[in-house]
Formats: sequence, C-alpha cells, structure tokens
Amino acid sequence: MKRRTFLAGLAAVPVAGCGLSGTSSTSTGTTGQVTGEITFQTWSLKPKYTDYVNGVVDAFQKQHQGTTVKWVDQPADGYLAKVMADASAGSLPDVINVPPDLSFPLAKAGQLVNLDESMKDAKPEYLGNAWQAFEIPGKGGCYGFPWYLNTGPIFYNKALFSQAGLDPDKPPTNFKELEEQALKLAQKKIAILGQTPSIADFGLYGVKLFENDRFTFNEPKGVELAESYKRMYDAGALIPEALTQNYTGAGAKFMAQQTALNPGSAYDLGKFKTDAPSLYANVGISTPITNTGSANMFLHGVSVPKSSKNQATALAFGRFVTNAENQVRFAKLASIFPSTSKGGDDPYFTTEDGTDEARVRVAAAKQLKTAVNYTPVQFSDQMREALLQQLADAMLGKKSPKQALDDAVSECNRLLK
Amino acid sequence: MTHRPYTPWLFLAPGLAICLMFTIFPFLNMIVLAFTDASALGGGRFTGVDNFVRMAQDPKFWAAARNSLLYMVCVVPPLVLLPLLIAMLAQKVVPGIGIFRTAFFTPVIASTVVVGLIWTWLLDSRGLVNNVVEALGGSRIGFLTDSTLLLISSMVVTVWRGLGYYMVIYLAALANVPKDLHEAAMVDGAGPVRRFWSVTVPSIRPTMVLVAALSAVNGFRVFSEIYLLSGGSGGPGGASTTLVMLIQLTGRGLTGEVGYASALSIVLFVILLGLLLITLRLNRREDRL
Repeated sequence: MKRRTFLAGLAAVPVAGCGLSGTSSTSTGTTGQVTGEITFQTWSLKPKYTDYVNGVVDAFQKQHQGTTVKWVDQPADGYLAKVMADASAGSLPDVINVPPDLSFPLAKAGQLVNLDESMKDAKPEYLGNAWQAFEIPGKGGCYGFPWYLNTGPIFYNKALFSQAGLDPDKPPTNFKELEEQALKLAQKKIAILGQTPSIADFGLYGVKLFENDRFTFNEPKGVELAESYKRMYDAGALIPEALTQNYTGAGAKFMAQQTALNPGSAYDLGKFKTDAPSLYANVGISTPITNTGSANMFLHGVSVPKSSKNQATALAFGRFVTNAENQVRFAKLASIFPSTSKGGDDPYFTTEDGTDEARVRVAAAKQLKTAVNYTPVQFSDQMREALLQQLADAMLGKKSPKQALDDAVSECNRLLK
Repeated sequence: MTHRPYTPWLFLAPGLAICLMFTIFPFLNMIVLAFTDASALGGGRFTGVDNFVRMAQDPKFWAAARNSLLYMVCVVPPLVLLPLLIAMLAQKVVPGIGIFRTAFFTPVIASTVVVGLIWTWLLDSRGLVNNVVEALGGSRIGFLTDSTLLLISSMVVTVWRGLGYYMVIYLAALANVPKDLHEAAMVDGAGPVRRFWSVTVPSIRPTMVLVAALSAVNGFRVFSEIYLLSGGSGGPGGASTTLVMLIQLTGRGLTGEVGYASALSIVLFVILLGLLLITLRLNRREDRL
C-alpha cells in the first residue's frame, strides 16, 4: 500500500512548485529546559483524530508545565509541497510528521536533528526495524521517532477465483503461484492485478534493491520478476490501466471488482464493508505474497528540524507522541500498529474475537515483527515514475524487461546524485 | 484639481507589490536557477549552460515538446471554428436559448478535477463509452491506456472545455457586426453561407486571431487534462507527457531537479513568447489591410 495514504486512505498526489534558493540550518541546541511554545504538524489527521491529538497535546502540556504545543494539520493533498516550501524557507514546524522517504532528503540536507546523538536512550523503546527505517543507510544517524506502522494482508475476490475454477481458499502466497493463478484467471478474461510491480514488490521477490550506494534491482532476479509480469500482461492478467496506475488506482479497480487480488491493510476492510458491500461478501484475506518470508511494512514518524528554536521541547514532545501508551491508544482508533517495542504486546493485537477485523489485525501485528520496509529511503517520486514508465515500455514490448530495468536503474542512479 | 506626483504610485503600490513578489521575483529567480543544479532544498552550484545542453540531448524533452506542439496544432482549428458556429446559433433569440448558452458555458466554470474525473470514468477501459462500444459488438478501446489515444482524448476534453469560453468572446464580437451590412448583402442576393464568409468572417477576423492566439498558448501549455486522464503518469511509458507536465515531473518533491525544471520553463516561456509575437504581427498586418 502506498505509504502516503495508508492512514487516512486519502489520495495524495503531491505537486510541488519550484523552490527558491536553499537555506542552511543552524542548530540551536538540543539540551535545555522543556518549556516554551512549539508547533506540531501532522499529516491529514483532522477531523477524524482531532480528539485524540488534542488529548495527547493536553497530556504533554500538563506533564511539562510552561509548554504550549500548537497543533497544525495539513491535508494529504499537497503535504509534500508544504514541507518543501517550509524546508526551502527554513521555517519547518518544530515537530513534523514525515515518512522515511521524506525525512531522508531533509536529513541529507542537514535539516533534521540526529536522534542517535541527541536522544541516545530512545532507541531501545522502538522496534529495531522501525528505528532503522529512519537511518541514512551506510552513514548512520536516526532522523525520526518511528510513529505508526502498517502492514497488510492481501485481499482477493473469492467469487472471481471460483469463476476461473481456482480454489477460493488457496490464494497465491508467493510470486510463482501468483503467475500460475493469474494465467488461469486470464483464460476466463479475469485480470488479477491492477498495477505493475512497485519497488517494494521487487524487495518481496527477493531482489537486491540497493547496494554500495547504487540501485541494483536490475540483477537477474529483478529481470525474472519483470519477465513474469510481462507474461501475465500479455495473457491479459493485468488490466490495461496497470501501466499507469499507482496504488490508489489499483485499489479502486479491486473495489469495482475489475481485478481479483490486491494488497491492502486493516483499514481497507472497513472501506469494503461500507463502500463495496458486494465485494465484502466475497472477499478473501490471506498472507502477503512474498518470496522472502517477510511482509512489507509502511511507517510514519516524527522528526525535529534543526531550525527549531525550541529543540529540547520539540524532542521531548516527539518522544511523548510516539511513546508506547500514546501509540497503542492511537492504533486502537485508526487500524494501525504501534512502532514501540512493547506496543504490540497489548492483547488488542494478540487476541482474536471472531471478527474479520480482529483476524486481520492479529495477523498483521504478527507479521510486523519480521516485516521490512522494502522501499529504500533514497527511492524518490521521480525514481518511482522512472520505474513505472520503464516497466510500461517492457509490458508493451517496446523494450525487453532486462533493458527496461537497466534503463530504470541507470535513471535512478543518476537521480541519486 | 491638482495632486501630488506620487499619488498614482500610491494607488498602484499594492498591485505592484503583489506582482513583484509573486510574478517578477519568481521569474527572475527561475532564470538564475536555470543555470544551476539546484534542488528543492538547496540553491545549487552554477553549472553554466549544462541544463540546456542536457535538454538538447534529452529524448524526454523532445518527446514532450513534440506532444505539446501536436496538441496545439490539433486543438486550435476546432477551438477557432466550433465556438464561432455555436455563438452564431446562441445569438438567435428563440425560446430556451438561455439553457443552450448555459449548457455550453458550464464546462468553463466546472472544476478541472471534476471534469477530469468525469471524463476518466467515461473513457476508462470499463467506462461508459467502452461499455456502449462492447454492447454494440465492438472491442474495448484504450482511450486512456494507448499513448496516442490518450493525447486525442485529452484534446477532445480541451476543446469541449474551451467551447463555452470562446463562444462568449465570439458572441460579443458578433454583436458588433453592423446589421446593415447583412441587410445590404441580402438585398444583393447573398445567401447565408455567402454572408458568413463575406460579412461575418471579415468583421470578426481580429477576434478570430485573438481566439487562435489564446487557444494556441493554452494548447501548448496543456497540463490538467493529460495529468488527470493519465492519473499523473503521462500515459504508458510517459509517452503522452507534455512540456508543462515534464516540468512538473522534473521539479516536484524534495528531490526534484529544480535547476533543470527551471531551464525547461525558460524554453517554454521563449516558445510561448514567440507564438504571441507571431500572432501580434499577424493581427497588425490584418489591421493594415
């Protein structure tokens, strides 16, 4: 599921204008008294989670007399543009909600506080894989408190599986089975997928994505995956829109029952129930398709910019928002999961109550223990676009899958500079 | 009545300040950035004409420029002629004409995103149009999944959206055509077609040039239609990307190549300026004749 949208399910197509000259950040120190006013910016949490966030803010202010937290929520649409404009102007809020791929360019540009230096004792409180997601690979340093996580099962349409003569209780669990079942569905003119593989799919396939500061997903295993998708596309197992669609578009096609399978999250199940009841009646839930044994993980975090004039308070608040107690409360409200090392032990994430929601929740919480954030933090929007375009050319037969991946890797490595 | 010499400037000041801040300064900044390798988070280093050299060798730039040019060439003729014909019909005073005029003007005021979504639903591989085609025994057409058809579909949307706007411009121009000219032509035995070519067209020629200029500029810098119909991807393999879309794709995000995107913007500006100058010259020549 696309990281930018997994919480609120809002479609986000960040569009940014051209920035002005860059600014340099100067640290104002991370030690000092926890007092004074800070601004906390979140990503599309209003109005659904207004009471929750206000409760956290109130609790922090009560615990630290003399502090004031001003909460600003930005809609998902245009969030990136807002962060970009603030970063260019050197006026980022004191505490900012960012996923790893947004924290990476900011950290690389020296704009974020390194938590490994300023909050040395915080690391053990979080899951190792979540903390790692906010590190700059190979260079160390962590630039965000991990906040909420998500992973998900795959959802599949049992009625469409039965229509093609497939066992509706045996959906694919790895990529080999995916192709086999996709080709059978295609014989009945049923498409299985609404998307070409994302970079995370290459990771799930077992492809080495990034090594020695270079992208490497054009290695033989990567080509193998692209060739498998080419065979599926040629057979009609992918809808034509798969060549241009992102996760949101593919999800809409699954909801409209035009595709038979889609990865998702606990959040989606509620959406099916209200927005697509006929699909909900037929929906099957299974473990994610992976060749590595590990599921994909998505996460958000909160970072503190170096430009903050009140870093001590900002860091204290960042840690407070993401502590186990606050994360578990949030997770119970929002179909997400805590990133703290003890948060997942809450009975809410370990006990089933017979409902589908609880089954998905417990399975996902279990999955998260070994899940990996497969998308490299260096993988930018432009790189995602380059991969999508090259794969489209491969599917249409304009170039071989090998050539397409070579070209995508070459473009991604150029953009790395 | 006398006034202090700076009084007019005081009235102009708010507008000038806004113009300086949001138009002139960003424009000058863009020119500076075009000669750097700036990203969204940094001013970048001076790189001379590297961005322009890269552009000359960039197949994506040439493909986008070709698409923009093709777009302009294809949308200008229908946008000059169709609104004129509709305006001539809408000019008639008959019962219910208000509904007719409103119907044609509605797409102009409709939100671009809503328009894009409606057309996406219509032209989707499982959309209304394809369902009708299939019901009639045909096979589904990839309006949004074939790069050429995607461009054509976007052109149709552009023309559909522009009809009402240019119709209003033509209505104003037609109202100024002297009635006695038409009456004189009728007395001389000219039919409706002859009157159209010999009276109406010469009288509104400057307006036609204006509509051609406006639609050419808008056609060349098309963005919303392609962006929405392709789901932001520029079509399969990015083959339907236009120049403005390429600028957006290149410069967006924290990792965007703002320097290169600025260089692309300058080229777009120069092309559009050239187009407007040509139109201006044509208009002047018309005036002299």
